[in-house]
Amino acid sequence: MYDFRTKLKLKSIEAQSDFKKNFPEAHQFLLGKGLELKNLRQYSAKLISAGAITGSLLLTSPVNINQLPAPIEINNKNLIPQENFINILQKLLPSEVRPLARDEEKRLEVIISDILKIKSKATLEGEHLNTVYGYIGAEQHLKRYPGDVLENHGPYYKEGIAPGLGAWGYFAKSKTDLTSTLEETEKWYSVVQTLYLPDWNSRQPYLRDWYKHRKLLIVNTINGNAIVTALADSGPAAWTGKHFGGSPEVMEYLGGARYKKGAVLVFFVDDPENKIKLGPVVYNDLSGKDLLKI
Amino acid sequence: MTMLFYDKLTVLKGVDKKIKKLTPVNDERQELWQMVEEIIHHKVLGCCLTHLPNEHHHEFLEMFHARPHDIKLLEYLDTKSKKNMKKIIKEEIKNLTKDLLLLDSHKV
Repeated sequence: MYDFRTKLKLKSIEAQSDFKKNFPEAHQFLLGKGLELKNLRQYSAKLISAGAITGSLLLTSPVNINQLPAPIEINNKNLIPQENFINILQKLLPSEVRPLARDEEKRLEVIISDILKIKSKATLEGEHLNTVYGYIGAEQHLKRYPGDVLENHGPYYKEGIAPGLGAWGYFAKSKTDLTSTLEETEKWYSVVQTLYLPDWNSRQPYLRDWYKHRKLLIVNTINGNAIVTALADSGPAAWTGKHFGGSPEVMEYLGGARYKKGAVLVFFVDDPENKIKLGPVVYNDLSGKDLLKI
Repeated sequence: MTMLFYDKLTVLKGVDKKIKKLTPVNDERQELWQMVEEIIHHKVLGCCLTHLPNEHHHEFLEMFHARPHDIKLLEYLDTKSKKNMKKIIKEEIKNLTKDLLLLDSHKV
C-alpha cells in the first residue's frame, strides 16, 4: 500500500509540475482566479448548485425544459402504475444521464409522490446532492460490528464483504448491540459521493451527521423499480464512471442478479417522523401480482 | 452536461479495484482517489492546451473557468485545434490507466 501511495503521490506531483512548466500562463491564470485543480470538481459543483450558470444549463440541455409537459398532463392513471411511471420517466428524463435542472427535479418529485406515494426531495433541509440522476454500481456488504463475516450476510454472497468499513464505521459496537433496525440499514444501504460536495470539508461535523444513514429513494429509470435505502458509505470515485452505489440486496431488487451498473434517480426521502421503512417500494395496486417483469 | 466537461472520457478501468485491494481504510482510499483525480485534471487540461493553438489558450481558460461542466468546451477544442479531442483525451486516459496499474510493479 505505502509503495503504491508514494509512487502515486510522486506521479501527482510530477503531473502538477509538468503542467506548471509547460503552461506557466495557464497555471498563473487559474491561480489568479483562486482555482486549484485539486478542487476542480467541488468548484464546478458549487457553480452548478448556485445556479450561477442557468443560461448554460439551458444551452447544453438536450431538451427544452420550458416545453416539457406538466406531470399531471402525462400521468395516465388508466395504466398499471409501474408502466405509467416508466412512460413518464421516459418523457421527463433527458436522453443522456446528467445533473438535472431544478425544474426537472421538481417535476419528478411530483410524479414520485403521486405514483410511488413516497414524499421525496432533491433538496432537503437545504442539502442537495451534486446530481440526482446518475449511474449506480454494485457494492459489497459492509461489516456491521467487529468480527462480522460474509457468512452472516446471506443469501447474497457473490459480491463479498468489504475488507474495510463504510465511511461511518461499524453499524454497532458488537454483535449483541446490532438491532434489527441496524441490520436493515446495512441490508438496504446506499453510497453517494459526499466527498465531492462543495462544502463537505467546511461544514463538518454537521454534514457528516446529517448524511449518516440518511434515507434515499433510488429509482431504476429503465424498469421503474424503486427502493428506500440508507446512506452508509461515501463514493464511488468520480473517474469510475459511476455516481452512486448499492448493497447487493439493493442492486438485486433494482435490476436482478446480473445488474452491476445502471441509470438511477436518487432523492432524499422526506420522512421526519421516521415512518417509511427501508426496502422495496411496491406501488402496483395489483393484488396477488408482483412488479412487472421488464 | 456533466460535472466536468471531460467526465465521460475519463473512466479509468481497474484502478479503483486496485485501490480497494490495497487499503481497507476509508480515509486512505479517498486520499488515493483524490491523488488520481488531481493527476487526471492536470493531464487532461495539459492535453487540451497542447493541442490548442496558443492564441486560443486565454479564451479557452476563461470559458473553462466560467463553465467547467459545459460539454460545448469539447466542440470549441475540436474546432480550434482541428482535431478530434475526444479521441485524444481518451487515449491520454488509456495511457494513464496503464501507468497507474503498473505503478507498484517492480518494472516501474
